[in-house]
Parts: sequence; C-alpha cells; structure tokens
Amino acid sequence: MDQTSTFEKITRGILIVLVLLFFLFPIFWILLMSFQNNDQILRIPPSIAFEPTLQNYTALLTGKLETAAGDLDIAFMRNLGNSLLLSTCAVLLSLALGVPAAYAFARFKFRLGENIAFTLLSFRFAPPLLVLLPLSLYFKQLGLTDTYVGLIWVYQLICLPLILWIVRGYFEDISPDIENAYRIAGHSWWRAFSRIAIPLARPGIAAAALLAFIFAWNNFIFALILASASKQPVTVGALAFVTASGIQYGQIAAAIVLSVTPTLLLALYAQRYLVEGLSLGAVKG
Amino acid sequence: MSSLELRNISKGFKSGKVLDDVSLSVDAGEIVVVFGPSGTGKTVLLRIIAGVQDPDAGAVVIDGADVTDSAPDQRGIGMAFQNFALFPHFSTFDNIASPLEARGTPAGKLKEQVGAVARMLKIDHVLGHAPRELSNGQKQRTALARALVAQPKVLLLDDPLRNVDAKLRYEMRLELPRLLRTFDAAVIYVTQDYKEAMALGDHIAVLRNGRIEQWAAPATVYRAPASVEVARLFGDPTINLLPCRLEAWGDGCGVTLFGRKLPVAASYLRAVGHDVIAGLRPEHVVVRETEMSSAIAFDLDAVMPVNVRSVLYLRGPAGVELLATVAESDAGKFGRGHRKVWIDFAPEDLLLFDAATGARLAPRTEARTN
Amino acid sequence: MSDLVLDNVSKVYRPRGKAPVQAVRNVRLDVKDGEIVALLGSSGCGKTSMLRMVAGFEDATAGAIRIGGRDVHNLPPAARDVAMAFEGYSLYPPLKVRENIGFALLRERKASAEIEGRVRQVAELLEIAEILDRYPTVISAGQQQRTSLARALIRRAPVSLLDEPMSQLEPQLRAILRARLKDYLIEHRMTTVFVTHDQTEAIALADRIAVMEKGELQQFGTPAEIKQSPNNLFVASFIGEPPMNIFDATVKARGNGVAVQAIGPSGQPAFDLESPLLEQAPRAGKIRIGIRPHLIEIGGLGAGHATARVVTNHWLGDQSHICFDIGGCSVVGVTDRPIQAAQGDALPVRFPLAALHLFDAESGRALAHGLEAQRGE
Repeated sequence: MDQTSTFEKITRGILIVLVLLFFLFPIFWILLMSFQNNDQILRIPPSIAFEPTLQNYTALLTGKLETAAGDLDIAFMRNLGNSLLLSTCAVLLSLALGVPAAYAFARFKFRLGENIAFTLLSFRFAPPLLVLLPLSLYFKQLGLTDTYVGLIWVYQLICLPLILWIVRGYFEDISPDIENAYRIAGHSWWRAFSRIAIPLARPGIAAAALLAFIFAWNNFIFALILASASKQPVTVGALAFVTASGIQYGQIAAAIVLSVTPTLLLALYAQRYLVEGLSLGAVKG
Repeated sequence: MSSLELRNISKGFKSGKVLDDVSLSVDAGEIVVVFGPSGTGKTVLLRIIAGVQDPDAGAVVIDGADVTDSAPDQRGIGMAFQNFALFPHFSTFDNIASPLEARGTPAGKLKEQVGAVARMLKIDHVLGHAPRELSNGQKQRTALARALVAQPKVLLLDDPLRNVDAKLRYEMRLELPRLLRTFDAAVIYVTQDYKEAMALGDHIAVLRNGRIEQWAAPATVYRAPASVEVARLFGDPTINLLPCRLEAWGDGCGVTLFGRKLPVAASYLRAVGHDVIAGLRPEHVVVRETEMSSAIAFDLDAVMPVNVRSVLYLRGPAGVELLATVAESDAGKFGRGHRKVWIDFAPEDLLLFDAATGARLAPRTEARTN
Repeated sequence: MSDLVLDNVSKVYRPRGKAPVQAVRNVRLDVKDGEIVALLGSSGCGKTSMLRMVAGFEDATAGAIRIGGRDVHNLPPAARDVAMAFEGYSLYPPLKVRENIGFALLRERKASAEIEGRVRQVAELLEIAEILDRYPTVISAGQQQRTSLARALIRRAPVSLLDEPMSQLEPQLRAILRARLKDYLIEHRMTTVFVTHDQTEAIALADRIAVMEKGELQQFGTPAEIKQSPNNLFVASFIGEPPMNIFDATVKARGNGVAVQAIGPSGQPAFDLESPLLEQAPRAGKIRIGIRPHLIEIGGLGAGHATARVVTNHWLGDQSHICFDIGGCSVVGVTDRPIQAAQGDALPVRFPLAALHLFDAESGRALAHGLEAQRGE
C-alpha cells in the first residue's frame, strides 16, 4: 500500500538523520580528537574548529609518548602487529577447520550431529572469564603461556563456532542436486566440494570470515591473561595510555583510529564477496 | 541382456517404506515411464539408480555389472533433474561440457560434441550465457543436453517438463521420444502426468505405496487398469466410480446402478455376491436432451468446455456425482447448465473392481489375451 | 451480487533506481452481476496487478474501479467488501483450518450453528472435510490452497477474487473440484474474477475470459468467441491444447476468393488450401495462417488436400495426438479415435474452412476466421 503521505515521508527522513547522528557522532568526535592535543580536547566549551596536529600519530608511530613526567615508551605499533598476526592466523585456521566441518554438518546426517554442532556453538555463549582460570593453568602445564600458537588456539573458541554456523547455513541453502549433478557427470566428491560447494557458498564464507576477524580483533580478556607485553594485541595495549601522569586522550583517539582501520579496510574489500544472488536462476524453486 | 536392471530395491525412511521390493528392467533404446502421484518414491528410485542415495536392500545392475556399491561418478549415467540443477557459476557451455570434462575429453572434440548436442536441442545460440539469463525452457534443454552429451548407457529423466510452461511442455512431449531414440540409451522417465506417460513410454510402471502396481504398455494401462487407483490416475476427467453389488440373475449376473439393472458378461460369475466398484469413463457416458425409456434422469449442474470437448457435471438420484464428456460442438445446446438431462451407457464399458482390494475383476476371456 | 467495472485502469511501478514498469495499460473491463471472469495470461502480463488493484492492495495509477456502481478505488481493502483467495494462501497459523475458513463469518457475528454448517458444506465441496481440525503448517500445499479458497468462497461476498485458485491441485481432483466450484458460484450468483495462467482452467470455469499480455487487454469474450475468433496471433496461440498450428503463407487472388499456400520453414511452398474468404483478407502478399488441431480431418474418405507423413502418433486413451509432416511443415492434429498409423506412413488429411484463421504477418492481427466465413455463407 503506497499511501504514505508527504508528512510521513518528512518525519521518516528526520528520524533517520537523528538515528544516524546518534550512532556516527562518537566516531566523528574521536576522529577529531585524534588530531588535537590534550588542551584542545579538554577545553570548555568544546569546539569543532581547531588547529589540527599530527603529534598524536607521530607519538604512536615512533613509540615515544611525551608526558608531563617525561618520555614513555609505547609499543603501539608492535601491538598493532600482534593484533594483525593473531587475528589473521586465527581466522585462517578456523576457516581451514570450520568450512569442511560445516559442509559435513550440512550434507551428512550422522548420529549426534545436531548435538555436536550445538556444543560447538555453545562456546560462544560461555563468558570467557568462566574458562580463563582453568585455561591459564593448562597453558602453564603445556608451556603455551605467552606464545602466539597458544593464543591462536584459544581464539578458535571465538572464531570456529561463527564459521561453523554461518557457513553451514549457506551450504544448506545450496540445493544438493547441484552437487549430485556434478558427481553424476563423473567428478569425485572432493571436486564437487571444491568446484561447486565452496564457490557457491563464497558470500557466506566471506561474511563469516569477516565477522570472525572482527571478534578476534576485539578480544581483550584472553590476551590480557594468557599473554605478556610482547604478544599483546591493541585491545590490551591501549591500557598503557592510562599513565600515572594523566590520560592522553589525543593518543587514545589516534590509537582507536588506527585500530579500527584494518577491520574497516577488510570489510570494504570483502564487500564484493558478500553480494548475494550467485545461485539465483540455476535451480528452480 | 538389458542395459539397466533393478533387483528387489527397497528403501525406507522414518516416515515409512518408500520403495518395497521394486524390480524392473530396461533395454537399450527402450523408454520406461515410472508413473505415480507425488511423494511416492519415484525420485528416490532415480537417486538410488544414480548412486546419490543407497538402497536398504536390492541391487542396481548396469550392463550386467552390479553397481550398487559404486559411487555416482563411476556409473556412466546421465541424469536430468526436475529443478534443472545447473551449475550457476558456469556458463551454459561449461554446464553441458561437464561430463566430457570429467572423462578427460580433449578440448577440440569436447567443443564439437557440445556443439552437436546444443544444436540438436536448439540452444546453440545461448552457449555463452549464464544459467540465470536463460528462460525455463532453455534451462530444461541445457539440463537435457548435459545428460545426453556423453552418450550414457542409462538415461534418467526426473519429470523434466514439470517446471516448463504448457505450450513448451506440449512441444517437448512431441519432440522428446524422437530425440531420445537417436541416443539408443535405456531411459527411465519419471512423471506425474498420465498423458506424458502414455505419449512417451514403451512401457509404464505405475508406482504406488512403494510397489509397482502395474507394468504394461500405455494403451493397456488405460483400457485395462490393474486397480481402482490406476484407473483414477489415468484419465482426464477422472473415471466415475460407483459402488454397487454384483448379483446373480437367472443365467448371468449384473449390477444395479441408478435403479437400473445392468447385465454384465457371464465371465464375471465367479465374483458374484461381492461388493464391487463400477468404473465408467466420462467419454462412455451418453447424454441426451430428451427422455428415452432406457435413459436415467440427471440434473446437469455445470458445463465446462475443455479444449476438444466439454465436461458435464451431473448430479443424480441420492446425490451421486457423475462427469461426462461430450464433443465441443454438441456442448452448445446445454448452455450454462442447471437443467435436466438423460444419460445412458453400454454395460460393456463398465470396468468392475473388487471393493475390498481395489483390484480389477477381469472377465475370464481377457485373462488369456493379456 | 454486484457488478464490477474497470474503467481505463492503468498501473505503473516505479522501482527505485530502475526504469518504471507499466504493468497494466488502459484496461477497460466490465463484469456483469453473477458472471465468472478469468484473467488469463503468462507471468508478468499484469493479471495479478489487476486483481490486487480491485482488492485494494495496490493503487491504480490512473482510472476508476466501481463495484455495484460505487467508486472503490480510493477505499482501503476492508471497506470494499470483496473476498480474496491469495496465491500464497496466507492462512492464519495459530488457527485450525475450520477456524480459518469461518473467520470472516465470525466477524459478521453469525450464529455459531450456522457458521458450523456453512464451514462443513464448503469443506466437503473442496474435499478438505477430513482436515478441518488440523493446523495450516501440517497440511499439504494443495490442502492449504483449498483452505484459502474455502475461506474466500464461504463469504459469498459481492465480488470474489481468486488468485490462481487451483494451481496446486492434484490432476485427479481437478475435474471434479472445478465442476463443484462452478456449480457453487452459479448457484449463489457470485460475481467472480480469477487469475490463471492455465488456459484449460480459464476455458472450463469462466463465462468470459480477459486475455492479457504485457499489461494490455488482448481480447475479452466467451471461451467460444476466443477459440473461434481470436483477435490476434497471441490469443490464438495461447488458447487451446494442443496449441494452434501456425505457418507463414502467401495469398493469391483466385476467382471469387483467394488461394492460400502454406510456406515451410525453409521458405519452400508446403501445401495449398482453398478458402473463399473474404473481404478482410488481402488479395495478395504474405500472411500467417492458423489451423486448429482438433478441427483437422484425419484419415477417412474424401479428397485430402495433401498427403501427410506421420511423424509421431500418440494414443492418450480417449484421444489421438498425431504430428505429421506436410511438405516440410510440422502439423499437429487431434481426433477422438485411435488411428492405426506408424511413423513414416502416409495419411490423407483435410483442412476444413472452419479450422482456418488468417492473420496479418506483421502485426499479428486477425484478418479472417474460417468459422465466421462459413456461417456467413
């Protein structure tokens, strides 16, 4: 029923603008803050016009923080590198394990299949704090504390359920007849998996990988407890900005901007794989 | 030796047994139609033959070799699915070429064979398109081309005309038999449309409740259906079914329908005393505008023209419903209905079925010629 | 009940970012009180848009819709007093089938005994009496569709709108349910408009058929009129199963009439027809001819126009469908007796005047119809 009046259209427009402002304003403000020094940030009343400065970014990149009490070493770039390494490896590992598992769950009906799948999902429900204490004890015993391998392994608790559940849904949406037709044509099941199932589930795999990357990137508590300073990602590294001689808001803002950028770039890159409709038209109904 | 043989195939699911001891054989160049209403396991049967589903019991034998335990890619079968199942991210050419590619056919020969099949099915001008750009008719033909291109010994067609519009379906119904015969494969064609079954099949296997209820040539299935259900499934409009009782009268026997006593062939004598269902095909009902001594009065409640003839909806004594067909040219005089008419029919046109089992009571003379 | 008038109705869809789509173009249709009208066409022809405009789920971009003389195109659906059976069934999941069907009667505050009786009557009509106490989610698609139909029919509304009412029905039930439906509609004098792409259904049920293509009304007439005098090539080839045989042909003046010669697919002459038509037929030039399959005389005695070679011969139990080749042209004929002829045999065939239709080669517009000419003589 296209009976919306002009009044409704205007009201809808205004509401949308308000909602957008509500969500985007903090991000906009942080961007501004990253180009200001502490005095400009804390000035009352706050103003939009100011003299931009790159000193926050320089401090982060060079690793030297200037405070009233002297210079401090900030290992921000190393933290950024750690985040990239941990998140990327965790996602790659969970894809290698999760995609074939999702295929198995989608295509084959085996006993306890649903139970196993649900157990794997339940890892997402449990608060990390619940498992941290036993985990840290195990890690000490296995010698995995403060290792990249150990962290990547623990990150599977975050990434694997996501990959499994999202990609399984996409595999289930592909009509099995397409793979059947490919097999009847004479191809092995591996080729059916790699040439048919995976390309058709690509939007789902991309979406799941992106989500897994974001969640791994944002993780705080595992890295805090199970790693030391040299292996910490940006989430933990940000704590360093709270110094004895005051909080460096400008640097925090710059750090946030730099932290968000890789995920943002990844999302923009992955966007074209998220386009649906690959399988439209090849299967009736 | 037949190209394809099914021996005692059984398959059950949680909901029940879908195939119960099904056996049949198909020779090279023969088209066997597996006919049945939806959900009766016809598709499961095809999947078992293709190897994408395992039977609970029984064997699939192709050219004398037992392939029951072989993978689908080892069986040398071509299959066309009801929902086309084209590879959406391949071009039409690559879709059709897929079986040849799996067999390692060199590129030149591959192009030639794909082109030949595409020309035969009139889709050579869309080979470069993606499946989503094709019309339903073109998709169906691509699926067929893909099934045929490697010249398989066994061809499985799962209701390929179901999702195609009426006009194209009719054209393909005429074209398909000729096309299939040039390939000399053993063909199993699954359909729910009895006209398609009669047009295409050398033999029809009527599948009901997991069993083959009748295996015969098309004309025989129509003329001498094995059971009430088969009679209902073959015929448009559906056959009229009238419960009555076979009684002995003097030298012979007969049934009472609409208050009239109708003698039937003496060879039915052994079934006397049974409750029977008399089947009368609509085309055998004669409808008259004027009263005649032998005719029975009915109310004509609706007239429905259908292409070549008109269907008359009649209601008679005790609320019994009857459908009759008359030639289109004759239907005009009945107008829109809601008037009285008188119907008549020949007792020899009655098909008698046992009311308890549903099986047709065959007069003794017929048993010899079947 | 009421009559329904569509007065120059048009509908344009304007999807964002794409070109506007003219779904319905200047349609004028009048449905008489108690008449059953079919909107027939292939998918995308505008028939569903038209139905939805009458119901009130779409606004007409232009034109007026009147029910019983009253303008309704500005009223919301609930105020128009029409009953509708949707293509997607749209049943209420938490209510049983019985309650779904009787829903509208509850609104009208009828006595429960009366509702009970009418629900049972309609359910028995559509063979869903056994599932009255089940829920919509556990019954089959065909049963859901019949429930949706029952829900609309029970209201005996002034105008009933049915969107593809029997598309999911099993073939065996189709004939008897169509018959009962038609009887019910006639008995209660219900003005009905239904949408279908199945021309068999349209011909069986409707008093008049509106054939639509690309949003335009191609022809509005009784089944007999549409079969015997189709307005154009589209209507002629859409109606009828098997479809009408269509060929290219050339016309030459001869004596009092014209001689028509059919042309085969590769341009060579195929066979000749005599036809003493008519003022409308051109005296010379290219045209297209249509020949109805079941009016062709196959076999039998008498002079045949040409000898046809049998390509396929299918006996379908109560009719024969024979495809034969005449001079390169593929012709389909239908007759109600079995013909003993195998592939390759020769058969005499005759094309009586009543079977012929002449169409303009470019526009497809009908030029002359054999049956009319025959009657005129």
